[in-house]
Amino acid sequence: MKKVSQYLVLVLMSVMTVSATAAGQDADEIMKKSHLAYYYAGDDGQAEVTMTLIDKKGKERGREFSMLRLDLEEGGNQKYYTYFKKPSDVSRLTFMVHKSSGGNDQRWIYVPAVDLVKPISADDKNSSFVGSDFSYEDVSGRHWSEDNHTFVKEGELDGKAVFVIESVPKEKYKGFSRKVSYIDKTTLLPVKEEYFDKKDELIRVFTAEKIEEIDGIPTVTIRSMENIKKGTRTVVDFAQITYNVGIQDNIFTERYLKTPPRNFIK
Amino acid sequence: MRKTALIITALGLLLTAAAPSQAEVTLDGFLQGLYGARLDEDNPTSTEHTASETRLQLRAEHFGDRAEFFGRLDFVWDGSDTVEYDWELREGYLKFRLGKYFDFKVGRQILTWGTGDLIFINDVFAKDYRSFFIGRDDQYLKAPQNAIRAEFYHDIGSLSLVWTPRFEANRLPTGRRLSYFNPMAGDIVGTGLGDEFYFDPPLPEPKFENGEIATRFQRTVGNFNAAVYFYKGFYKNPMAMDIASMTAFYPILNVYGASMRGAAMGGILWLEGGYFDSREDKDGDNPFIPNSSLTGMVGFERQVAANLTVNGQWQFDYMTDYDIYKAQQPEGVFVRDEVKHLFTSRVTKRLNMETVTLSGFVFYSPSDEDAYIRLSAEYKYTDEITLMAGGNIFDGNYANTDLGRFAINDNAYVKITYGF
Repeated sequence: MKKVSQYLVLVLMSVMTVSATAAGQDADEIMKKSHLAYYYAGDDGQAEVTMTLIDKKGKERGREFSMLRLDLEEGGNQKYYTYFKKPSDVSRLTFMVHKSSGGNDQRWIYVPAVDLVKPISADDKNSSFVGSDFSYEDVSGRHWSEDNHTFVKEGELDGKAVFVIESVPKEKYKGFSRKVSYIDKTTLLPVKEEYFDKKDELIRVFTAEKIEEIDGIPTVTIRSMENIKKGTRTVVDFAQITYNVGIQDNIFTERYLKTPPRNFIK
Repeated sequence: MRKTALIITALGLLLTAAAPSQAEVTLDGFLQGLYGARLDEDNPTSTEHTASETRLQLRAEHFGDRAEFFGRLDFVWDGSDTVEYDWELREGYLKFRLGKYFDFKVGRQILTWGTGDLIFINDVFAKDYRSFFIGRDDQYLKAPQNAIRAEFYHDIGSLSLVWTPRFEANRLPTGRRLSYFNPMAGDIVGTGLGDEFYFDPPLPEPKFENGEIATRFQRTVGNFNAAVYFYKGFYKNPMAMDIASMTAFYPILNVYGASMRGAAMGGILWLEGGYFDSREDKDGDNPFIPNSSLTGMVGFERQVAANLTVNGQWQFDYMTDYDIYKAQQPEGVFVRDEVKHLFTSRVTKRLNMETVTLSGFVFYSPSDEDAYIRLSAEYKYTDEITLMAGGNIFDGNYANTDLGRFAINDNAYVKITYGF
């Protein structure tokens, strides 16, 4: 009898392990699909972006820029091109990123007032993007394979059916020690993300404020990031979005950094 | 010359504005007040302040399907020197593409290349140290040149050719608001001692063969951008002396150089070198014309903490035929080393959602025993209004070294800018 119960326990344990693995794979699969839906929509994309930075006293600052993106491989390397329009002191400044999903990204800036092309040290992906609450990594994406994902539950958020998934970095990471994502079941876009620090205190909250269908692709057109600790918030509005416009690889070079591609950037 | 440039700009603006295109002319710019005070009392200059000016910069841009025009025009009310209104066309150029491989930029333009941070070896384009030393914006370090730039882009690399028909010299302190070293007087001088110390050396004759040619070929090698350079023209500073007329002049110069820059060790690493071929003193035996020299530098920049970037550079300068040079120097003056060393470091800290920027830049030469420190604090009060305060501190043990010659020009300034 004892042997049978031991055997039963063993069987139960292995079944549990199997189901746990299955759920783990599901979580991985969901996060992968979500990453692709959010960061790799279409083969390329173009948008006019307005950023509003709100400090803890409610004072607002604005950034306006055009953005181009090209996917070299789905879920892999990408290239980004940014042309600043406002504020006045950074107008016509261009910025380029070669995102390497395996290694370190490469970044360049061009300052037209002094005709200066300069590579920027891209060591810290967590540093702020143009002073906003979004980091460079928030803009170009942290690869899903860098975290272990666990399926928490299915739920509902703002009337949308969501998967709730918890992610923990595989290696010690400065950006967060735990992240809870609420992934829309139908679009697979992140509706909300909560970032926790090593004391497990909530530090930042991402919210997809508005999701629209653009060229048949569900797209987050208004997003926000709130820094709970600093009391600051950034709202980003993507307008005039187009996908699959035929952006060529050669645009992401010094030549176009110095002379913006006017067929895409007005 | 200036009038012609203005007329051309005005015409360009009118024409491009009149052209039936979907794009329109965009206008923006800034209004700025800059006030600088001296920190040294015994400066032999003739102005009370290093800066007391109000500046309006207007930028106009227009692009059509085939070409784009850009103009940047400054109006300055300068109360530091003799009270006067002045204006300068900073940029006014047409940019267009020919075929698949060629880009052209024609007109008045700012030009930059090379890898150094405020150290220029193969960048033999005009600098404006008068602006740089008194707290004007960084963009004013670069003086415009009337030039044609042709660029050829290909898979094997890109080739740039810049032709400047009329030599454009560096803008150096004239003695009015900043003093300088005069080898004849053997001391630091300024116009406070007399108008004869107003420094305005004659430029090379405006002949076709006195134009400047600067070329660069660059390509990507692994993680690095590699480039070779060639320059034919004149020393940008009047480093030679005509003994008959006792005036300084710009001696003929060729520069051959190379550079590399790219990501390494979690930051950006750069290397650059150049041979300054002093064409009028090939043997180094003329004491009134600089000897040829070989110079090189290495620099590294890294983000060391959140919003804190630090860099460092080391430059050496080896003078050829040094023994001849040394033997020719008069008694009692400081004679430079055969190999001169210069170290620099920049520290930049951004705070409060990048609205506050603290910056320090130090030049220090152990061989020349001189130094130059630039400090600034900037606060973006709103997207439009920026407040800034800063200082320029020089130090040197000898009056005739590169930085020591400006030793009594220490100044502090405040600046307010309204961008639109």
